[in-house]
Amino acid sequence: MNTAASPTALHATGVHQHFGTGSRTVHAVAGVDLEIQRGEIVALLGANGAGKTTFLDMVLGFTTPASGTLTVLGESPKTAVSGGRVGAVLQTGGLLHDLTVRETVAMVAACHASHIPVDAALERAGATGIARRRVRKCSGGEQQRLRFALALLTEPDLLLLDEPTAGMDVRARKEFWETMQAEAERGRTIVFATHFLQEAADFADRIVLMRAGRIVVDGPVDEVTRAGHRTLSGVWDGARSPEEVAADLGITEAVVHQSGRVRFTTEDTDGLARVLLSQGLAHELSITAASLDDVFLDLTADDAPEAGPQTGPATASQAAPEAAGTSTARPTPEGSLP
Amino acid sequence: MTATPSTTTATASTTTTPVTHRSAARRIAGYAGWELLRNVRMVESTFFIVVLPTVLYIMFGALSSWGDGEAGHGNVSAYNMTAMAVYGATMATSAIAGSAAIERQQGWGRQLGLTGLGGSGYMVGKILVALGIALLPIVVIFVVGALTGARFDEGWMWPASGGLALLGAIPFALYGLAAALLFRSEAAVSAASGILVVLAFFGNLFMPLTGTLLTIAKFTPVYGIASLTRWPQLEGAVVDTSGGAPAGDPLWAIVLNVGAWTVVFAVLCLIASRRSTRRG
Repeated sequence: MNTAASPTALHATGVHQHFGTGSRTVHAVAGVDLEIQRGEIVALLGANGAGKTTFLDMVLGFTTPASGTLTVLGESPKTAVSGGRVGAVLQTGGLLHDLTVRETVAMVAACHASHIPVDAALERAGATGIARRRVRKCSGGEQQRLRFALALLTEPDLLLLDEPTAGMDVRARKEFWETMQAEAERGRTIVFATHFLQEAADFADRIVLMRAGRIVVDGPVDEVTRAGHRTLSGVWDGARSPEEVAADLGITEAVVHQSGRVRFTTEDTDGLARVLLSQGLAHELSITAASLDDVFLDLTADDAPEAGPQTGPATASQAAPEAAGTSTARPTPEGSLP
Repeated sequence: MTATPSTTTATASTTTTPVTHRSAARRIAGYAGWELLRNVRMVESTFFIVVLPTVLYIMFGALSSWGDGEAGHGNVSAYNMTAMAVYGATMATSAIAGSAAIERQQGWGRQLGLTGLGGSGYMVGKILVALGIALLPIVVIFVVGALTGARFDEGWMWPASGGLALLGAIPFALYGLAAALLFRSEAAVSAASGILVVLAFFGNLFMPLTGTLLTIAKFTPVYGIASLTRWPQLEGAVVDTSGGAPAGDPLWAIVLNVGAWTVVFAVLCLIASRRSTRRG
């Protein structure tokens, strides 16, 4: 890079975005503060409607924040994008079905001020083998490879991937992340949105989790994924109610009664088991550690505690006053925006 | 463009050296070139835009027994020739504008939004393509016409009629756009092309209308641009095969028709685009 460019790839302060007017206003992004350094690989997690796509749309300059500031590579998003410094793999849609894969790359290349040779982009994205295929006949995974080739055309400093492996089978997914790894080793900053915590854990250095338009978790992958709870369930025998026992032991999570069993959620399942067994309160105990998916579901649930595992840098959400009620008013599904 | 794409990340091989800087004009030209290629390659649409009107001209103009009859400042073949040029050109602009809107709705606009083309570059490119494709049937039919006996009294009438056909096709870009914005589907654009055939019939393009049909026709959109395109040859006169006294149209009425329908189509586009953004 010949520019004395800013060290930050992305800098957001108090970014808000809303759609609609009056009582139907949806705060899709309700106060995001985020700083991503160059060379970082960041997974942006969140359920549908958490505000991921809306936020990425602003980073790509498709929409401007209603309030707050947002710079990309030290420039305005529009400038950075039109200069070819940002590459993106957008969600499904957005290809012309009558062109071949190679023609699509050549056509998009013609619209850039400068770019690497078309065949080089195809090769890096692993799309050389399908270069002569019509887009119409490409599978979902092959179309993603094409989008990836388009994103690599300008040697971007920042790569944004919005659910890049959607519609891919297991093998395609694996191959995609292998290709991605090669790009990461070139020193690119990579930000990808995903539904799958496993993908985030495997590939990212850092996880940023959005819920209801705000960042609720931001930290290194290890810390975030360790935050999972454990559950203990069993058939209750005790004279006292499970709730009383839970209160005695300082378990704050609600006790769940389900199909004749009671279930506790706590960090210290071993300690709980010891108490239950020694006092003969329950039998047929079973202990499970939350899977990554459970952790994700937990963190993204609308009723998840706001004070969830707040780890990492102090970039966590700053509760925006007008967003107080957003946990009941879910944002509309992403992607239906103009 | 100050920042050329990263070259220091090039642990990369020599194959990844960025292609040298391309100006905004060259980007638009490159984009328009690809779009022209795509459009010409789409056999179905090229057939309806170029081949069909040319064949219709040959059948009803060049090969017909009345083709050599006098009509204003030219012959009947020339009259049919401009009619088919108008038909092909309006088909072209409405189809291209319609498909452009559909492409954007399907996210291709976002993909191009990530390039250095820019919103205005995209618009300019699409306009160039629409005009280029609209010019295609005009040129083909005029050349075939010139070779098969179409005759204007004066040479300037050729470029004048052709130019007016191209000009008249522009409001129909709004027509195709409105259909696409209102109904948001490929099918809607095809349906708009189908309706355009009916409008062309009322536009007096296929067979000379008389009586009540003609009276109705004067209020339809294609009638205005058809009469405008025929102005050099007919100066508003209406060809009447029933032998009655031809009732002509004054220029103001023709211009009013074209202007009014342009406004109608533009307003429809505005309403449709407002509605689509509000729905979000």
